[in-house]
Amino acid sequence: MRRTFTKIGLIALALVMTLSLFTGCQPAEDAKELVIFTWEGYVPDDIIAEFEEEYGVTVTYNYFTNPDEALQRLASVDGGEYDIVINSDYTLDIARNEGLMMELDKSKIPNYENLNPVYMSQFYDPENKYTVPYVPGTPLIIYDPSRVDVDITGYADLWDESLKDSIVLLDYDRVIVGLFLKMLGYSINETDPEALAQVEQKLLELKPNVRALNMDTPYETMLSGEATVGLMFGSQVAWVYNEHPDFKVVYPKEGMGFGIDCVFIPSNAPHADVAHEFLNFICDPEISARISMDENVMAINCNLKAEPYLSEEYLNNPALFIPDEVLGEKEFIQDIGAEYAEQYAEIWNRFKQA
Amino acid sequence: MQKEKKSRISLTVWPFYIWTALFVALPMVYVVVISFLQRGATWGVTAQFTLDNYLKMIDPMYGAIFLEALYVAVLTTLITFLVGYPFAYYVCKLPARLRSLVILLLMAPFWINSLCRLNGWMILLKSNGVINSILQALGIVDEPLKLLYNFGAVIVGMVYALAPFMILSCYNSIEKMDWAVVEASRDLGASPFKAFLTVTLPLTMPGIVAGCVLVFVPSVGLFFISDLMGGAKTVLIGNLIRTEMTTARNWPFGAALSMMMLVVTIGIIWVYKKVSGSNSLGDLM
Repeated sequence: MRRTFTKIGLIALALVMTLSLFTGCQPAEDAKELVIFTWEGYVPDDIIAEFEEEYGVTVTYNYFTNPDEALQRLASVDGGEYDIVINSDYTLDIARNEGLMMELDKSKIPNYENLNPVYMSQFYDPENKYTVPYVPGTPLIIYDPSRVDVDITGYADLWDESLKDSIVLLDYDRVIVGLFLKMLGYSINETDPEALAQVEQKLLELKPNVRALNMDTPYETMLSGEATVGLMFGSQVAWVYNEHPDFKVVYPKEGMGFGIDCVFIPSNAPHADVAHEFLNFICDPEISARISMDENVMAINCNLKAEPYLSEEYLNNPALFIPDEVLGEKEFIQDIGAEYAEQYAEIWNRFKQA
Repeated sequence: MQKEKKSRISLTVWPFYIWTALFVALPMVYVVVISFLQRGATWGVTAQFTLDNYLKMIDPMYGAIFLEALYVAVLTTLITFLVGYPFAYYVCKLPARLRSLVILLLMAPFWINSLCRLNGWMILLKSNGVINSILQALGIVDEPLKLLYNFGAVIVGMVYALAPFMILSCYNSIEKMDWAVVEASRDLGASPFKAFLTVTLPLTMPGIVAGCVLVFVPSVGLFFISDLMGGAKTVLIGNLIRTEMTTARNWPFGAALSMMMLVVTIGIIWVYKKVSGSNSLGDLM
C-alpha cells in the first residue's frame, strides 16, 4: 500500500523540478499549478508527466513518510497549501471531522462513475462526498517455502519454534497489534485493557522469531534473504512475489485487516479546479490500471473498467487479485483517539525493547 | 579607537544573535512550554498545566529504554576511544603532508549523506552481501552469517558514524602537546608505557573528554542507525521521541523527553568543563 523508493522519488523530484523550470519560461497567466502531498513515489512520475502535458499544469510533489505526521502538517496549514492529498483511511476520518476536506464537485469528475462501489461508502466518507479511493490493500503473509519447514496458513503459525530469528514484521503498531488482536478474536481496534494485555504477552512471545521490523522497506529484508517470512502491506507482498513467484502468499485464516488510501482535496486547496481535473484524470480506466501496475504502487485496482488494461502478470499475482469471498468482511483500522494510540505505541515500545 | 572597533564587531555579530534567538532559542522555549501542557484529544496540545509528562518517565518501561540507550552510548564512546585514540596518536607521528591527507580522508565521508553510507554498510553485512559472499566462496561458512539486525550491528553503525569526532578531537590535543615533556620523562627513567600513562595521557585529557562528549551526546539520539542496522529492535531515546511525536501523538511527552535529553547533555558538558578546566565550548573541537 505505501512504501518509499528513494531512487525513483529522486528521479521524480528531479523531473518535476526540471519541468517546472520549463514552465517558468511561459507567461505567468498560463501557469496552472497542482501541489500533491503523499508518500514518495505514490503517484508514478510518468502519470504526473502525462497529466502535466495534457492539462498544461506544473505539478509540485511534496512527500511524507508517516500518515499521522502528514495529518498534523495539513492541520497546521489549515487545509491549505496542498491541492491533492493521498493518505490512510483512519487519518481521513480525522481530517473530515476536523473540517480539513473539501466537498467534491462530481460534475467536474465524469470518470467518478467508474469507481468500484465495493471500495466506497466507508466509515471515513459514508456518503462519498469527499474522497476517491486510490489504493485498497490488506496486510498479508509471504514466505519462502524452500527455507521454511512449517506450512503457514495464519498469524498463529508465526509463533512456530522453527521460525526463530526469521520473520520481518511491518514496523507499525496499529497494523500488527491490530492483526494479532483479530487473531485472538477481538476487533482490530480493540481498546479493552484485558485484550491489550493479552496481545502484548503474545507479542513478547513472538520476539525471538522476529528478525527485523521495518515500515518502509520490509520487502528488501525478504529479497536480500535476511528473513524467510514477512507480514507486511499487500503491495509490499506483491512486490516480493513479483521477484519470487516461488514464494507463497498467505491469506491469513484468522481474518484480514483492510485499508484504503484515498485521494481528497483539502478544504483550503489553492488550486481546487486543477485538483478536480486531476481526480478525473486518475479515474480514467487506463490511467487507473497503469497506477495499480506501477512498481512503486503495486496495489489492488478499484476501477470497474480497468481490467482490460491490466497485465497478465498483475492478474496472476495473489497479493493483487484477492477473491471477494476470501477477503470476507472487511475490518478497517480506525482512529482510536490519542489516548489509545499512545497505549498501542507503548505496547509496541515494550515489544521492541524486549 | 579601540572602542569604535568593538562596536563595529558587535554590529556584524547581530545577525547571528537574531538567528540564534529566532531559530534556536524560540523553538526551545516552545518545546519547554509544550512539555508542561496536556495532550489534545486528537493531536496537538491543550493549554492546561501538568507535570504528568515528567512524572511519566519514572515508568519502568522508560527506565529500561533509558538504560539500554545509556549502555549503547557508553559502549560506543568506549570503542570509539579505544579505536580513535591510537589512530589519532599515529596520525600525529606521520610526516606533515601525509598527516593532512589522512585528516582529509577522515573528513571525506561527511560529504556523503549518512543514510547512504549506512546503506553501504548494509550491502556489506546482509546475508547475500559482500562479506557473506566472500566467506561462502572461500568455504569458511556454509550458511550465511546473521551479521545484520542485531545489537552488534547497531554498535558497528554507531562507532562508524561517530569515530571521526573522537579521532579529530584527540588528534587536536595530541598534536598540540609538547613532546619535549615526554622526552624529559623518558630521560628521567620512565618506561615508554609509564611515560604515556603519566605524561601523554593526562596532557591530552581535554581532547579525550571533548571526544567523549561529542560521541556520547549524539549516540543516544541517532534513531535511524538502530532502525536500519538493528532492524528497529533497539529503542534509543531518539526512537522514543520520534514515536511520541508521530504514532503515539503525544507531543507533550515527546517534548518532556527532549528536555530530559537536554538536561543530561548540559550535565555532561558541565562535567567536561570541570575536567578540562575549559571555559569555552568552542574548545570541544
